[in-house]
Amino acid sequence: MSVKTVNPKHRKGRSWTQDWRLYVMLILPVAFYLIFCYKPMIGIIVAFEKYNLFKGMWGSPWVGLDNFRFVMKMSDFSSALTNTLWLNFLGLVAGFPVPIILAIMLNEMKSIGLKKVSQTLLYLPHFLSWIIIGGMVLQIFSPTSGLINALLLRWGWIDKSIPFLTDGPHWQFTYTLVGVWQGMGWGTILYLSAITGINMELFEAARIDGANKLQQIWHVTLPGIRSTIVVLLILNVGQMMNISFDRPQILGNAQVRKFCDVLSTFVYRTGIENHKFERATAVGLFQSLVGLILISGANFISKKLGEDGIW
Amino acid sequence: MKKTLSVLLALSMLLGLVGTALAADDWITLKVETYDREITGLDVTDCWQLHYAQEHFGDPNHIKLEFVSYARWTEGDLLTNALAGGNAPDICVTYNGSLVQQCIDDEGIWQLDDLIANYGQNLRAFLGDELLGYGQSDHDGDGVKEQWYIPARRISVANVGNFIREDWLKALNMEKPTNVEEFTAYLRAAKEAKLAGENTMPFSFGIYVPDPLYNVRRFTDAWVDFSQVTEEDWFAYARNPEMLPGAKEGFRWLNTLYHEGLLPDTFALSDNDKANDTALIMGYNGFFSQQPDQPWRTDKNYQIELEKNVPEGHWVTVNPFYNESLGKTLHDKYAANGLSIIIPLTTNEETAIAAMKYLDWMAQPDNMFAMQNGIEGINYEGISPELGIPYGVKSADAVPNENKMHAGDICFISNGLCYFDDEKNAAALALPFAGYEEDVIASYADALTDAWTQISFTVAIQAETDYGSTVKSKQGEFLAAVVSCEPDQFDAVYEAGLQDILNSGAQEMIDEFRQAYKDGNYRGVFPGNL
Repeated sequence: MSVKTVNPKHRKGRSWTQDWRLYVMLILPVAFYLIFCYKPMIGIIVAFEKYNLFKGMWGSPWVGLDNFRFVMKMSDFSSALTNTLWLNFLGLVAGFPVPIILAIMLNEMKSIGLKKVSQTLLYLPHFLSWIIIGGMVLQIFSPTSGLINALLLRWGWIDKSIPFLTDGPHWQFTYTLVGVWQGMGWGTILYLSAITGINMELFEAARIDGANKLQQIWHVTLPGIRSTIVVLLILNVGQMMNISFDRPQILGNAQVRKFCDVLSTFVYRTGIENHKFERATAVGLFQSLVGLILISGANFISKKLGEDGIW
Repeated sequence: MKKTLSVLLALSMLLGLVGTALAADDWITLKVETYDREITGLDVTDCWQLHYAQEHFGDPNHIKLEFVSYARWTEGDLLTNALAGGNAPDICVTYNGSLVQQCIDDEGIWQLDDLIANYGQNLRAFLGDELLGYGQSDHDGDGVKEQWYIPARRISVANVGNFIREDWLKALNMEKPTNVEEFTAYLRAAKEAKLAGENTMPFSFGIYVPDPLYNVRRFTDAWVDFSQVTEEDWFAYARNPEMLPGAKEGFRWLNTLYHEGLLPDTFALSDNDKANDTALIMGYNGFFSQQPDQPWRTDKNYQIELEKNVPEGHWVTVNPFYNESLGKTLHDKYAANGLSIIIPLTTNEETAIAAMKYLDWMAQPDNMFAMQNGIEGINYEGISPELGIPYGVKSADAVPNENKMHAGDICFISNGLCYFDDEKNAAALALPFAGYEEDVIASYADALTDAWTQISFTVAIQAETDYGSTVKSKQGEFLAAVVSCEPDQFDAVYEAGLQDILNSGAQEMIDEFRQAYKDGNYRGVFPGNL
C-alpha cells in the first residue's frame, strides 16, 4: 500500500500554477489519445451504412442494422466467435499464472548476472514476429519431418506422427503453448516491479518469525502483488473478445480451419478482402461492446470480492 | 528617379512572375501508378522508361509525367486507400477485380467511352473491340453497356504447366505417361525405387490458400463425366469444380496418393510453399504443376537449381490428365484480359484526356517496342534477323541502373512482350530462357492443347462479392479434409464438405451464375464445345 502525504500548502487553486510543467508534459499523451483513440471512434458510424468508397463515412447511405444482420447470419460467424473465446480462454488459463510464477522465481535468484541473463532470454520471444515464430513452429511440430516427430519416430517411441498442427485439439494445444512461451517473459515485467515495491521489512519480519522461502512467498510476496494480479486479470478478461490476426492466421492451416478460424480472420475474409468495410466495422463494434461488458463484469465481481478493481 | 526605378523594377518582377505562371499553366501533370517490385537499382519513379516517355510523349504535349510507386504485392490495399482518400494517381492499374467492381458500383471512376472514341484510336486498335468488351458493363441499367475500365491485353494465355522428371522416367525405363493410370504407376514406381533416397516424394503438392481449388481442378477435371455436364452447369459451377459429376473420384485419387505417401503429409500447412520449393530443387520430387514457364523463371529457376544438386535432373512437360468422357487432355487458360486500368473521378477532364492520350501513345508499335525492350546494345544485344525480335536480352543486374526497366509494369497495357505479330510473340516467350528454348516451347504447346478459357461474367455477381472469399476458405478446409481423411471415411467427409461449402454461400453463387449464364452475361469456354 502506498501512503499518500498531503501537503497543507498544496491547495486546489494553486496546483495549476505550481504544477504547470507537469500539465504541459501531459499535453502530448492526451493529444495522442484524442487523435488516435477517440477521433477514430467516429468511424463506428460506418457499421450502420452501406459504405461508399468515394462518398466516405459522411456521404454513404444509412442502412441501420443490416450489416450486423448479414454478418451474424454468415455460416462462419458463430464458429469464429466460439473459437475466439475458447482460444483466449485457454490462453488465459494456461498463460496467466506463468508470468507470476516466473517473476517469483526470478526474484528469488541469488546471482544478479544469472537473473539478468534469464530475464533477457525470457523476454526475447516477445520481440520475434509471428512470421518467424510460425517458421520455427513448423520446423518443430510438423508431421514426420518436424523435430519432435522425427526424433520420436527415430527412437521408436511412436509409430505415427503426433498431429500437433493438423488435428484440431492438438492444434489448440500447440497454439496455446506457443502463445504462453512467447508472452511469459514479457508478462513478468509488471510483476517483478510490483515485487520490488514490497517493503523489505516484511520479509525480514517473516524470516525472524521462522518462515521458510515457500512460506515467505505465500504470506508476503503473493499478498504483496495481489492487487497487480487482480488488475491484470480484469484487463485480460476484457480482452477475451479480441484476438490478433497474425497468430491464428500464421499458426493455423486449412486442415484445422474449424478450430483456427477466429473473428480477426473472419473479418479479414468477409470485410477487408472484398472491400466491405462496413461489415468489418460492424464486427469490430460488436467485439468492443462484448469486451466492454466483460471488463465491466470482471471489475464488478472483483469489487464485490473486496478488491480494488480498475475504476 | 530612384522611386521610378524601383517601381519599374517591381513591375517587371511582377510581369515576370505572371509570365512564368502563364507558361506553367500551359503544362499539366499526369500521375501514373507504377508497380514497384523492389528490383535492386531500379527506381520506378525515376527510370529510363519515364524519361523516354517524357521526351517522346510528355514534352511535345506539354504534359509532365510523374510515376507514383505502388508496391506490387500490396497494390490493391494501397490503391483502395488512395481512392478512398481522393489522392489516387490519374491512371490507376490493378489486378484486384473486386476493387474495380467496387469503383464501378460506387461511381468513383470515369466512364471511358468518349475518351476512347476521341483520343484512343491506337489503343482501341491494339486491344480490339472484343477485349475492350471485358471492361464494359451496364451500370445504369439502360440496357447499354458502358466502358468502365481498360483491360490490358494478355499476350500469352497459357496457364497450366505440368512437369515430370525425364531422368526419372529413364531410370524407371518408362515412357511419358499419357493418362492417370500410367501416371500413378510412375509415381508408385518412383517411390518404390527411392529415386531420391528416403526423401523421395513423387508428387509435389500444396494448398494455394487464396483459391484452393484453382490449381487442383487441373487434376480433378480429368475425372469429370462430361456426358452429365451441360454447358449451363459448367458456368453455374464456375467456382465449384468439386461439385461437377465425377470430380469426386479425382479427389479420391489424391486421397490415395496421400495414404501411399506419394504426396507430402505437410501439404496443408501454411508455410508449405518454401518446403516444396526446396524439395523441387533438391531433386526429391518427380512431378509438379505450376505455370508453363515455371521451371525456367528467373525468380525461381527450378531447372538450373536442380542441376546444381542433381546434374542429370531434367524437367519436361507432361500431359497425364486425360479425360476419357471427352477424349481430351484438358487445360484451362486465361481470358485475354490482363490487369485493369481505371481513371478516378478525382482526375479533372483535362488530365483525363491527357491520360487517354498517354495510353494511346503507349499502344503505338514503335513506342511500345521502346518501352518494353529498351535500347539495343544496352538492354538487348540486337534484333534476330530470322525472328525479328530482340535477342541476348540482359537480366536486370547486367544493365546499368539508369537503364534498368520492367517492361510489364510500366508498359502496362500489354501483359507480356508484344511485337504485333502472333508468331513473334510466341517466339519471344522462349527467348529469355536461353538453352531451354525447346523445353519452353513444348511446355507452352501442351498448355494450349485442348485449352478452355477460364470463366468470367459480364455482370456483377453480388453473391460472389459477399461469399466468394468464404467459399474459397471452405474449399481449402474441404481439400485438406478429403485428401487426408481415412479412405473408408472418404465418402462421408466428401459429402459433408460439399454441404458445408453450399451452406457457406456457394449455393447463392451457383444460382446467380446460372442466371447470368441464362441471360447471356458470361465469357469463357465449355470444354464440351472444344
